[in-house]
Amino acid sequence: MSELWGVLEEHLPEFSSGLWVTFRLVAASLLIAIVVGTLVAAMRVAPAKWLNRLGGVYVETFRNIPLLVLLIIMFAGIRRGGLLIDPWVAAIASLGLYTAAYIAEALRSGVFAVGKGQIDAALSLGLTYPRTMRRIVLPQAFRTVIPALSSLVIAMIKNSAIVGASLVALPDLLKQARQVQADTFQTGEVFFWAAVGYLLLTVTATIAFRYLEQTYAIKR
Amino acid sequence: MQYLFDPDNWEWLWTGNNFKFLLEGFAVNLEIAAIAMVLSFAFGLVLALLRISTARLISLPVGIWVDVWRNLPLVFIILYLALAIPSSWREAYGNAIPDFFPDALQDELVLGALLGLVLYNSAVLCEIMRSGIQSLDRGQREAAASLGLTYIQQMRFVVLPQGLRRMVPATVSQLITLNKDTTLVSIIAIQELVRHGNTVAATGFGVEVTAPILQVFIVVGLLFIAVNLALSRLSRRLEIRERKRTGTTLKTVRGLEDQVALESDTIVR
Repeated sequence: MSELWGVLEEHLPEFSSGLWVTFRLVAASLLIAIVVGTLVAAMRVAPAKWLNRLGGVYVETFRNIPLLVLLIIMFAGIRRGGLLIDPWVAAIASLGLYTAAYIAEALRSGVFAVGKGQIDAALSLGLTYPRTMRRIVLPQAFRTVIPALSSLVIAMIKNSAIVGASLVALPDLLKQARQVQADTFQTGEVFFWAAVGYLLLTVTATIAFRYLEQTYAIKR
Repeated sequence: MQYLFDPDNWEWLWTGNNFKFLLEGFAVNLEIAAIAMVLSFAFGLVLALLRISTARLISLPVGIWVDVWRNLPLVFIILYLALAIPSSWREAYGNAIPDFFPDALQDELVLGALLGLVLYNSAVLCEIMRSGIQSLDRGQREAAASLGLTYIQQMRFVVLPQGLRRMVPATVSQLITLNKDTTLVSIIAIQELVRHGNTVAATGFGVEVTAPILQVFIVVGLLFIAVNLALSRLSRRLEIRERKRTGTTLKTVRGLEDQVALESDTIVR
């Protein structure tokens, strides 16, 4: 038992810096994912057929490719192509674009839940299509899909560990834990505290989303 | 862009055994996914039945077990097991696995990978099945009980056939996630598609053409996209037919990565 605390005491800087890197990675990727996801969702419900198709191709591509393969393409692949991409950029872009596909699908279901009547009403009042989306549909769609977004953010926190384990090797929580393990050989203790770190993040996200849900969600 | 489509950079694909070597790697992924899925399904069903038990002494610890495993990153679990599994277990696995299994699975390292995939996915599948079972009207079970069926018969003939049928889309989406997750075992040095891709990119197999890693992994990604798309299309077709036949409704679960996608598909149709 004392060993358990000893590891934490001695290596707290590594663990906390790892946790901070994981947090920043998730936050930045979430931002990208929401922006791109909203655009793709808007494409998927747009009146133009070719936009629907394009959005569909995006979603099916990024939803069915393993994140690890995406990271290799984004980092090693692009570097080999001659562009010296920064590890952070590669990691955030991969995780963000990957999750964007799921967010787009969630939002699309939210848009369908808003109802055609409202869209027709807005259009007949003379609002343009982008404006209808931005002012009428998307605000409601977001509020409908808060529970789904909560699942996605938790999945994202878990997926962020793949970044530290892959060749991108940002010093995130998992990477730091492996480093401490390699130095101390206290496998059980080190992984216990890393697990606590991940559970801390997922539980915080769950609580935050529960609050958002109670305050803003539209029940259907 | 020019670099991406330059035919010189694609020549590796039809030179030598490169593509065949990638496919051999992919077969390992699919084998691991298939075995992990069968085991997770069986283990997840047991967990789900224990978790809905009315005895708190059983349902509480099982609930904690499930929540812990499904809230940890899968890479984390696999890496931990790779370091923590005693070598005697690995030897036992090496001795126990039957010879007719494919060569790639004979490797003793595979035990950690399979164990990690099963621990994580059985916890997720447990949640899927539990919400399927609990979404059934309780009258179903009460009716079965009043007809004199034992607990096992109630489950076997009344509750599970209906409850699990509702969960087919969620289960398939988890199967697709599992198929993608098999790439993670490359991190503990099992020779599967990602490792094979790296080998191809590094050596080009003694032929004079080089295989740039970007193009190699685009092919790797396309292999996954093809199989996963086929899987989801097939299941959707089966599921729509089945739903028309039996008239069951769909139930969604929280905390699944791919749940929302299937949800929106069902709304459109």
